[in-house]
Amino acid sequence: MPAIALVFTTLFGALIDLNKPGNYIHWGFIQMSYGNLIVIILMVVVFFAAILIPFKTHKSKEGDR
Amino acid sequence: MSADTHKKPKKFVQDRDAVAWKGRYERYDIVKEFLIALVVVAILVTGLAVVFGSPDDKPVTVRSWSTANPVDFAQTAITELDGTSGTAGYGPPYNENGTAQSIGFITPEHWLGVHHPIDTANDFVLAPLSTLPNDPEVQAAVAEYRAASSTQQAAWTAAYEKAVANATFTDGKLTVPAGDYGPVGTIVTALTSMARSGALDGALLASRQFYGTDYTKPLLFIADGQYLASLATKDHLAGDQWGMMNETGQWPGQAWLWLYTLWYQVPPANNSTNGDFQVFAIMIGLTILLALVPFIPGLRSIPRWTRVYRLIWRNHYRDVEGPGGGGTSGSPPQVEGSAPEPEPVSA
Repeated sequence: MPAIALVFTTLFGALIDLNKPGNYIHWGFIQMSYGNLIVIILMVVVFFAAILIPFKTHKSKEGDR
Repeated sequence: MSADTHKKPKKFVQDRDAVAWKGRYERYDIVKEFLIALVVVAILVTGLAVVFGSPDDKPVTVRSWSTANPVDFAQTAITELDGTSGTAGYGPPYNENGTAQSIGFITPEHWLGVHHPIDTANDFVLAPLSTLPNDPEVQAAVAEYRAASSTQQAAWTAAYEKAVANATFTDGKLTVPAGDYGPVGTIVTALTSMARSGALDGALLASRQFYGTDYTKPLLFIADGQYLASLATKDHLAGDQWGMMNETGQWPGQAWLWLYTLWYQVPPANNSTNGDFQVFAIMIGLTILLALVPFIPGLRSIPRWTRVYRLIWRNHYRDVEGPGGGGTSGSPPQVEGSAPEPEPVSA
């Protein structure tokens, strides 16, 4: 492999290899990969964070209307 | 005097009508927010791509299929020739041999008709073989098959289909038990060799366009075999495995498509020949329901009942109601029983 390709592969190649057989969870007729489960949990976390994290307080000046 | 002068004031409905805002306004820079979101998302995407990479499975082609499982290819090829494959009996838009999906009298596939005609015997087998140069034995077999009566063709293909069930592939050669299948043996063996060389991929793609972008024929041919289905099942991509929201390997897939693929797991779509159309109809119905939420009494009141908006705008409600406020009705402040005077609203 040329040196430049080796450098780029090392720098930008995937650090975590997900190209392996997937793992799945079964709940009755529901079947879900761990990858999807993690993404869904993250989406729920972001949803609640968006609700619960307070807005930046606006200190408006007179005449802002 | 116009009729509008005596028009009765419209009754104010809190889940339908909005009260004109009379409080103060805040300056808000939406361009700044857009740019910040753009930069954050760009950093996230780049970072995740560096850390995780992306799925990069090699595409399944007729060549890769016939190389990995030549017996399955030969067994599929004979079903294309005798018209018993999934594609041959699919119906519209490819042919008239199958029943179009329907719900009652609604049959869109049938209404649109055969607009991508495919004759599997000719398009997948005989026509590609006719493009092979310098092979008089194969051309003679194709000519003999074309010249035979349909009864004779059916007898040959039935005999071959029975024999090829016990076929083997060793030392680069397809071996099929002997039988009275006329030129069909030569035809399928030649097609298998053509597929393994990659020439069949090109022949199936050949079109009048300069760039071949219509992969319908090779995809249908491949899907008629068992090879693609076995790969899909291995990766949990089959329809009964929530495949629409999965991805190859350990990558997360299209989780947001869960509602579409859910209907394929439960009756009636999971055991109906009209499953695709039923799922389509359910999703169209739900989409219309979602679009009409503001007009559906009860459904449009859910945000007020759940009171999530009070959590989001809790500072505002604390300001207007005081520390001990909050009420029990769940109604936003300023909502009265009659419509207020209209007032210009500015953003």
